[in-house]
Amino acid sequence: MNWLDKLMEGSARRVAQHSSRRGVLRGLGSMLVGTAALPLLPVARASAADGAPGMPADPGDPASCDYWRYCAIDGFLCSCCGGSQNECPPGTEMSPITWIGTCLNPADGKHYIISYNDCCGKSSCGTCLCNANKIDRPIYRPDLSNDLNWCLGTKSAIYNCSTAIVVGLAIDPKK
Amino acid sequence: MKKWIGLLLLGAALVHAELPAEKTGIIRTLPAPYPPHWILAHDGAFFHMSDGKVVVLDADAETGAAQYKGMINHGFMGGFATSRARKELYVSESFYSRGQRGERTDVFTIYDQSTLAPTGEVVLPGGKRFSGLPQVHAVQVIGDDRFALSFNFNPGSSVWVVDLEKRAIATEVPIPGCALMYPTGKRGFSSLCADGAFFSVQLDENGKLKKEVRGKPALDVEADPLFEKPARHAGMGWFPTFGGQMLPVDFRGDVAKPGKPWSLLDAADREAGWRPGGWQFLDTDSTGRIYMLFHVKGEKSSHQDSGTEAWVFDPASKKRERRITLKHPAMSIMLTRDDKPLMVAVGNNETGAFVLDVYDALSGQWLRTLADFGAETPFLVFPAP
Repeated sequence: MNWLDKLMEGSARRVAQHSSRRGVLRGLGSMLVGTAALPLLPVARASAADGAPGMPADPGDPASCDYWRYCAIDGFLCSCCGGSQNECPPGTEMSPITWIGTCLNPADGKHYIISYNDCCGKSSCGTCLCNANKIDRPIYRPDLSNDLNWCLGTKSAIYNCSTAIVVGLAIDPKK
Repeated sequence: MKKWIGLLLLGAALVHAELPAEKTGIIRTLPAPYPPHWILAHDGAFFHMSDGKVVVLDADAETGAAQYKGMINHGFMGGFATSRARKELYVSESFYSRGQRGERTDVFTIYDQSTLAPTGEVVLPGGKRFSGLPQVHAVQVIGDDRFALSFNFNPGSSVWVVDLEKRAIATEVPIPGCALMYPTGKRGFSSLCADGAFFSVQLDENGKLKKEVRGKPALDVEADPLFEKPARHAGMGWFPTFGGQMLPVDFRGDVAKPGKPWSLLDAADREAGWRPGGWQFLDTDSTGRIYMLFHVKGEKSSHQDSGTEAWVFDPASKKRERRITLKHPAMSIMLTRDDKPLMVAVGNNETGAFVLDVYDALSGQWLRTLADFGAETPFLVFPAP
């Protein structure tokens, strides 16, 4: 078990933290190759109408570590901290610089590039701590590293929580 | 009856003389160097990062009160290093004038090991100091402890060189595309770059850039990523990969020289899915043996999973000598550097709280658990300088 998960074991969100995230996501990541500077990413915009029959297009609970977009997240979920999966909590500032993951949306079977923009300027939200490491790399690959403080380019570097914003579809280099 | 009780109380008062008045204002100090089984627990304070600390603990003591020797603070995921020669502790840290907001000040703070009081500081300009989960190699001391290094990431990467004699910045060395610092040669360091190559730097006697060499990748880090956390001993560094290879790197010369990788796993280990992982999950003892955390049923993304066993390798023979089953799964380990070493493992107990499990490193026997010392997330433990 991952140690950050373990740290949250005693919290009220125990059930949400300890379902089958790892099993669901194992082996499903698609490696992004080349540079990962966001403006240069080879992405195609996802259609909001995509979705498997009988399943919402964006399934899952954004306040749970299991939510599909959190496959490479490391930090407190903004969804539990007064924000959402793509909005910062009131009074914080969203970092324009970030790390990315490539996560599988179970609704349409497609891989999406997810930008984990941090929200900054207030201290640790302190709840819903999640740590998934799909394609996480050490900090010599900062674009793929979730152990850095990504409150960069903001007025304050103090870290509050993390979002998981859909950037677009990942182009699978194997296809 | 009342008379008897009164006499008894009088008797007690006669036996126990009144306490003398005590002096106020007495502040304890610590020995320097610290005894070999004292350790320094670095609390990254994940839930209130502006208020981290490093706690000095006696890992031999049995009670919490006897274990706790003192502490220093660090601001916002500060980096930490020590110098035995200078009898100092170093913190690279950041503050805002209004707590979480306002004007930012990055500072390299120097503490005396005996008094645990700050004795100097060097302001680091530019607001670029690296912050993130605490990394051993984000702050290092080199060149016979004359210079300290502090890693910057904003997201360009560079290194502040701090002159510990002059208490001033000597220079800033850009390390584009690379991260962290591993002491190299007489007065230098190497950083690990995005392609898996090492970028080696030597400084002159004033701490200015003298020479830099960008090496070639020793491994395909896309196929099997190198961990950035080596075990180091006597100028050598051992860098494991996610998949269980070990890359030896010779840092004794001016330029990092990667050697031939060897496997940490045999066929049965691979079949069971044993993999290295955690946070600072490996260290060496004073003989150079490598202690390293492993977890079973690992996979490509399990590189930060806690280990259930510590495996002991002799890097000379490339053989695993022992396996130590841990009391609690652990993310980081540290070995004391004496000839009767303790292994201290940072784990989580049954309630999820961080604890430090202390083992006799040579026998593998669990001795005691250090807990309740006021640290919530001690990701790293450092040996006595």
